[in-house]
Amino acid sequence: MDLIYSLIAVLGTLVVAFIVSLFLPGLERKFIHARIQQRVGPPITSPGIMAPLKFFFKKTITPESSMPRLYNALPLISLIVVVVILLFLIPDMYFAGALASVIALVGFLKVEEIMYMFMGSLSRSVLSVRMPFPDKAKGAAHPEVHQSFFEDLSSLRAFRLIAFGSFPVYIAMFVAVAMTGSIYLQDIIAYQQVHGPVLFSVAGVLGAIVFFIGYMILLNEYPFAILKGKPDVVEGPYLEYAAKYRAYVYITRGFLMFTLATLFSVLFLGIAPNILNPTFIITLIVALLFPMLMAVFSAFSPIFTYKQFYPTVAGVSIIGVVAIIAALL
Amino acid sequence: MSLKSYSRGRAVHVMLVYTGGCNGCDIEIVNCILSPKFDAEQYKVFLTWNPREADVLVVTGPVTKHNEQPLREIYNAIPEPKAVVAAGACALMGGVYKNCHGDIPSEEIAGPVDNIIPVDAKVPGCAVRPQDIVAGLVSALPLLLNAD
Amino acid sequence: MDDNKQNRTVIEAEIPMGPVHPAALEPYRLRLFVEDEIVRDAEMTVGVNHRGVERIMEGLPVEKANSLTEKICGICSNSHIWNSCRTAEIALGIEVPERAKYIRIIMEELERLHSHLLYLAHGNEVLGHETFSMRLFYIRETVMDLLGMIGGNRVQYGSAVLGGVRPRCQLDEMRLQKISEGMDLIEEKVTAFADRFVSDPMIMSRITGVGVISSKDALRLACSGPTLRATGVAKDLRTDMPEYDPFEFDVITQDDGDVKSQLLMRVLEIPEAIKIIRQAVRDLPEGPITNRSWEMQDTPITKSYIEVPRGTLYHSYALEDGRVRNCVIRTPSMANIGAMQYACIGHHITDAQLSVVQCDPCFTCTDRAIEIIKI
Repeated sequence: MDLIYSLIAVLGTLVVAFIVSLFLPGLERKFIHARIQQRVGPPITSPGIMAPLKFFFKKTITPESSMPRLYNALPLISLIVVVVILLFLIPDMYFAGALASVIALVGFLKVEEIMYMFMGSLSRSVLSVRMPFPDKAKGAAHPEVHQSFFEDLSSLRAFRLIAFGSFPVYIAMFVAVAMTGSIYLQDIIAYQQVHGPVLFSVAGVLGAIVFFIGYMILLNEYPFAILKGKPDVVEGPYLEYAAKYRAYVYITRGFLMFTLATLFSVLFLGIAPNILNPTFIITLIVALLFPMLMAVFSAFSPIFTYKQFYPTVAGVSIIGVVAIIAALL
Repeated sequence: MSLKSYSRGRAVHVMLVYTGGCNGCDIEIVNCILSPKFDAEQYKVFLTWNPREADVLVVTGPVTKHNEQPLREIYNAIPEPKAVVAAGACALMGGVYKNCHGDIPSEEIAGPVDNIIPVDAKVPGCAVRPQDIVAGLVSALPLLLNAD
Repeated sequence: MDDNKQNRTVIEAEIPMGPVHPAALEPYRLRLFVEDEIVRDAEMTVGVNHRGVERIMEGLPVEKANSLTEKICGICSNSHIWNSCRTAEIALGIEVPERAKYIRIIMEELERLHSHLLYLAHGNEVLGHETFSMRLFYIRETVMDLLGMIGGNRVQYGSAVLGGVRPRCQLDEMRLQKISEGMDLIEEKVTAFADRFVSDPMIMSRITGVGVISSKDALRLACSGPTLRATGVAKDLRTDMPEYDPFEFDVITQDDGDVKSQLLMRVLEIPEAIKIIRQAVRDLPEGPITNRSWEMQDTPITKSYIEVPRGTLYHSYALEDGRVRNCVIRTPSMANIGAMQYACIGHHITDAQLSVVQCDPCFTCTDRAIEIIKI
């Protein structure tokens, strides 16, 4: 009997998460961006549900890449990793021991970030070097220099982002660990049932701010969109995805928005996602609130180059370390 | 209405290619998509800069010699089903640049867009009006909806 | 790593940005030579837009040639047709009535407004700020409506003809009223936008100190217009043109020569244009708007320079048997774009793209056949 309830909880939560995450891009675009920019905006279902659906019905092409089959498999691997992150947040999976701990989640998020690097180095699109133009004419400057694709540039930037861009999220996750004294999600939730949510303390508030900035960096949203900014690298690692693989890319992004918000509610509010528990409403509210807030910030900012990116990450990380120290005291 | 044609009609991705025109049509098309007064997103038309993501290609300008090969490559990079909209007098018949005197064809342009890629919808004007561009896009939609 | 002995710089890779690119409003080719994402050298190629306009104009009757020059560019269309008519008027000694001169200046200043607003919107889009870009496009719609009301078409309105202004562009009470209202609206909105823009720390940190060009370099490379005035040199051809004598306006300069100066230049030139339009509307003299009583003769090559939103525009042609001969058109963007090749060196790639756009390039105006006489 218990097993059946657990199974329903796990599968039901995943299905509800999937359905809600399909609506998130549309809500972001219609209710926030369009209102701020004083225009009408698309219907809610268009960017999140209809666009991936339409991509499923397009004819599959072979992407221009040095390893096309690996390149096409990467979005699916990314989607699976994000589903696994959400899986181990559900309380019925806490029996898995070390896999349901903050360290394991950090590892899974790292895998998700490394995907950008691989995608970038494998893609060779027509918009960069392959555009036919008679460059090597007589009198051209530096005709012997090696030509590099946009996607390689994007891959380099992804590498840099792995090095310093994920500090805020990880530091914020460790605020909860410092306060509760254990890395296992089971203990973190149990502590918050007794002592109240981590958010309701000085360390918690600072940690929440740091987590929010890290959320924006992880999702490559403006102003931290240097990986796929329009002015130079067009779309970055995703340039050669077409048809159903592009649909996976769209779905992964919505799912990641939902999953990271759920992570926040587990670590800072002590509410685990369980469809059989009425507190699931709070998880849904947080999952709707985070993308909306992120959309408001991203509508009012340009793209940051390294000159602004480094100080922002450094400043936010310092706030995070202060929060950890406050949590330990 | 099958799921296929319903979803194709509710999310249309448009890519713009400028092939050497005077820029009037280009600004009007950017007006149509980026200006809140005309806002093509409310008609479920999204702008993209990646040919792999696009359904409809909007071409302006008489195709100059250096732009002929890029236009062909970009057209070939778009996955099926696709539609092409030629906007403006230059894209339709070469505009004022087609002939250098009377009926002597100019050697600088590779001809109107019709000579290079197959065109599905034609939008006239010099420069095109933003309202006409949306109408032209919508008229090319039935080709996408019913294609296999 | 490639060690380029001529320049003594280290160049790792080349990043070509081709004719089709989201940051490019027109097709052009930009090759950036980078080392670890910092630009060490750049090469711009114009010539993708060449359509042979001067070849087409050779031998056309002069009125047809005038209306053809308008199709050279969609943003600076009025400038070309005014200058082309002005060349023939100087050559043939045609007297343009006063009212027509005022109406031509109103159209030119309206064009300056829409061109500067478009530049600001495009600059914001290259920065990555879509919201401001959309707000500026919305403000620009007022100017487009005014131009459409006077000329009949939103783009390429064809107001100037040989000897004056086309009869459709007559300004009566209702049109003057609408122009005044439009000017009030634009002034209010642009002032509000400028305050918001300057007080935003994220945008200011992105554009300060980027793409600097010194005034010495700008003069050496023959820049003109707002690109030159943003480096501190106060040269505006409008102070020399006789058509602008009855009007009072200030010549705006900025000091630093970086992207912030260039953007602020255009923002501050908008109230000056509004000032000129208001003076023209208030003092509009009565009289005819076209002078049709002139004789066609054969003339030698005549030159004409005017100040357009991007700098100094030059037209010249000779007339033989009522037809145009030896037409040469030289736009300000030709020198400005060349100067920007040097302005983007030493910056990150995203900033380099911004430095190229800062001079308000109009590639489609620029593409002529060039003969290099002396290097």
